[in-house]
Amino acid sequence: MMKKLYWLLTVNCILFTGASYGEINLSGFTSINAGKVLSGSGVPQYDIPPTFLADYPIVSSYSEDVSFKPESLFGLQISADLADGLSVTGQLVARGANDFDAKIEWAYLSYEINENWTVQAGKKRLPLFYYSDFYDVGYAYVWMRPPADNYTWQIFNYNGVNALYSGEIGDWSVMGNLYYGEEDDTENKLLSEFFFNEPTREIWRDMLGGVLQLNKEWFEVRLTHMTYKNERYRDGKRVLFDGETSRTGKFYGVAVNLDFESLFLLTELNRLDLNGNSDTSMITLGYRLDTITPYVSYSQFKEDADDGEQHNTTSVGIRWDFHSSAAFKVQFDKVNDKSFDLAVAGDSESITLGIDLVF
Amino acid sequence: MMLLKKILLPLLLLSCYSVNAEVVVVVHPGNNSSFDQSEISKLFLGKAKSFSDGNQAVPLNQEEASAARQEFDANVLSKSGSQLKAYWSKLIFTGKGSPPKEVSNDAEVIDLVSKNPSMIGYINAASATDSVKSVGKF
Repeated sequence: MMKKLYWLLTVNCILFTGASYGEINLSGFTSINAGKVLSGSGVPQYDIPPTFLADYPIVSSYSEDVSFKPESLFGLQISADLADGLSVTGQLVARGANDFDAKIEWAYLSYEINENWTVQAGKKRLPLFYYSDFYDVGYAYVWMRPPADNYTWQIFNYNGVNALYSGEIGDWSVMGNLYYGEEDDTENKLLSEFFFNEPTREIWRDMLGGVLQLNKEWFEVRLTHMTYKNERYRDGKRVLFDGETSRTGKFYGVAVNLDFESLFLLTELNRLDLNGNSDTSMITLGYRLDTITPYVSYSQFKEDADDGEQHNTTSVGIRWDFHSSAAFKVQFDKVNDKSFDLAVAGDSESITLGIDLVF
Repeated sequence: MMLLKKILLPLLLLSCYSVNAEVVVVVHPGNNSSFDQSEISKLFLGKAKSFSDGNQAVPLNQEEASAARQEFDANVLSKSGSQLKAYWSKLIFTGKGSPPKEVSNDAEVIDLVSKNPSMIGYINAASATDSVKSVGKF
């Protein structure tokens, strides 16, 4: 009883002092999605039934039965403004793919040095691809999800520091981000559950990366580069890469977006050099007709090796902004998985639909 | 009389409507910065944080459902409410920015802007008063 009372008082104090020192902002995002594979080959050589892997890192996979869980999620962001440019932000995400087990995915301090520079430290999402750091916020983009062939990397969060720049050069808006950090994922979901079928610990050390984004009226370009050291343990045993305990990965990316009033074109081109090159690319064309936005998209993954991992996806879909804070989407995806040894989930045709909202 | 009812009255209403539909962007009377549509857009999209004179700029939005907000979004920012919400969602949930503070009506905008040289807002053109300076009608 005393213990309960003590905690209650402590929580009270924290809430009270929080409120008296600064402003607390609550915001959030939710996606309720459903889908199924209409037809698919699966991967007979690995006993994988017809499957559509919609999101690699968290293993959102659809089967021939309708399922609501793979991509549904609920996210809550709490941000406390502590005055004088200091703020603290936490993001709690519950994913259907993890049985809605809520986890803190972001927790960072932010300090605004001046109107151009902000430094942040803590746990954040890794801003590798254009859509990486807001991947979970379906409302912020047109598709059901950013093209799966591109967003395949197993690590999507990091612990570290970063410096954000925001400013203008002439008529151009400039955004920059420099980051350094690491992630030690003791049981990586994609590697453990999907690729190796044994507990796999994935470590990315000394991640050092930069992002530069330039925007003027209808034109936007984003350039990025990142290097890291990869270490891995499978079933508790260290994996050797060509006799070494670690290997270096280098990531390069360029995204160009053209956004006219109705018509828009989104593109991304990326290369990961990790004992050889893997290239990913995507192109999307969409057209806004008031609240209805139809789009078509093509994306691919190609590893530069004999029978290397190679797959592509052709998608068509519609986003309908039926409410000021919610959008309905429906998308058809046709996946072509070309490799034999490194087949991921086989060929498939799938339909997914759902509602994304922000609050 | 019939003529008045059938032609003049609708015309009159129409002209009233078009006057009502315009918004004026207002700043503190002491603010001598230069403004154009692109400059104002950048301030309200968080892409610029200071006026042309170098002083800090704090934009004020009106509530989402208000006519002034809808006119401002369409005429000045040239984007739909959904597009703007998607734009801000991306910044809010990546820790890169937050949208302008919202106030509830023209009177509140005028009151705040008239007292604070760093603020910039917009109001229905018909509500304009001498206590704020108009820097553009859209």
